[in-house]
Amino acid sequence: MADKNFDEALSGLETGAAEEQGAETPRGEAADEASHPSVPALRARFGDAILHHTVFSGDEHVIYVGTERSKEILGWLAADPAQRYDLLVDLTAVDYGGGRPLEVLYQLWSTTHKRQLRVKSTVVLKDLETDSVVDIWNSADWLERETFDMFGINFRGHPDLRRILMPDNYAEGHPLRKDFPLRGRFSRAEQTRRALSMQVEDYYTPDELHVGGASSSNATAQPNAAATAEAARHHEGTPSRPNNAENWSPGTEGSAAAAGSGATV
Amino acid sequence: MLPGSGVAGAGSPAYVTTKLDEVVNWARRSSLWPMPFGTACCAIEMMASAATKYDLARFGMERMSFSPRQADLFICAGRVSYKMAPVLRKIWDQMPQPKWAISMGACASTGGVFDVYSMVQGIDTIIPVDVYIPGCPPRPEGLIYGILMLQEKIRGEAMADPSLRAEDPARGGKPNLPPDVINQIALPYGNSTHQNRVSGLVSTSAIARPSDRQP
Repeated sequence: MADKNFDEALSGLETGAAEEQGAETPRGEAADEASHPSVPALRARFGDAILHHTVFSGDEHVIYVGTERSKEILGWLAADPAQRYDLLVDLTAVDYGGGRPLEVLYQLWSTTHKRQLRVKSTVVLKDLETDSVVDIWNSADWLERETFDMFGINFRGHPDLRRILMPDNYAEGHPLRKDFPLRGRFSRAEQTRRALSMQVEDYYTPDELHVGGASSSNATAQPNAAATAEAARHHEGTPSRPNNAENWSPGTEGSAAAAGSGATV
Repeated sequence: MLPGSGVAGAGSPAYVTTKLDEVVNWARRSSLWPMPFGTACCAIEMMASAATKYDLARFGMERMSFSPRQADLFICAGRVSYKMAPVLRKIWDQMPQPKWAISMGACASTGGVFDVYSMVQGIDTIIPVDVYIPGCPPRPEGLIYGILMLQEKIRGEAMADPSLRAEDPARGGKPNLPPDVINQIALPYGNSTHQNRVSGLVSTSAIARPSDRQP
């Protein structure tokens, strides 16, 4: 797969595909759907699945798609020889607040055709789920973990979906959501106590702790079962590690000390 | 010559009389080995303090100790996130007595502008702090002044006072302050009330003249 992509990318460079469209590309007010080669192609192939098209900042073409077919469309954009968006520059999400849907944002770049395209797919707050694109672009792995951590969007089919920035035992929610209070949901004392209850072992999977160590056999080959089970536990809202199983329920500040789970402050 | 000491006997062998506290405190304060815990821009100023122009070595601190086992002065230079908090506490617990702590800059001392969900609101909620250095970041002179203040503090210590260097192993890895105190000192203040929808302030606009202040 990778070799084929590489060959086709090279052939694209030889034909000078980027120079063909060149300096005549309309910008600003003059830019419309026809001024980006991918947009008519997407319309022709996917029809109504392409919900909307805008031009942002002069020449930034944005395509809106639904979550149902987003992966199919992105996969086609990556694989089709005339598109070949082989580089996922960024994957993130935007929360506009007020109960409006979140937008998952894919910033794509075609190294073959030297074109960029932004694809946005909307997910409603009630059902924050979309398909993972890790099997299309490997760079989506940590980006989707970060988007899950910050926005709580569940990426179906992600090999190892767990928090990447916040600690594993973080129970206050997803910080970049507009409904998240700036200082967090717990009191400062509770935040401090929870932070100090974390051990180094809690931040890493056993495989990660053995990086460079003796048992690299199961660390390299497969998506490890431990991490997957870990992610599954995480989605159920249960405490992630046994030694952090605390009798904590949100909204009852100060009761943690009474629960007596090492909260001897 | 140590203060309060005197040389007796004109010939050899000469000997010195002084108080034990004077000797011990002189030794301790004159060879403070800092453990640099630099997490942000304050660390740049700390490095400048140690470099040629400001030359921290003049005060017996030429050896930045990057191992907590051989350090006795903890310098936290920069903001500390909650994710970093257990690391900070562990390093402090690993340092042997006698040890002191300097909180360098606004963020380490109070959380600074980062009055947000992810940031420790002052490292004194985690470890005991001896000297707080204000500034954002403090200049090297500020850090050096803070260290000199700490040296003055060490000068006044007494070996007969066991409470100074007492440390309870059971409190290792635990917060330094009780929960209600942490909550109290982390209350919103100053500009951070802008972010609080229920701040209760009459006006949160900039105060141009002292007479504009609310009573």
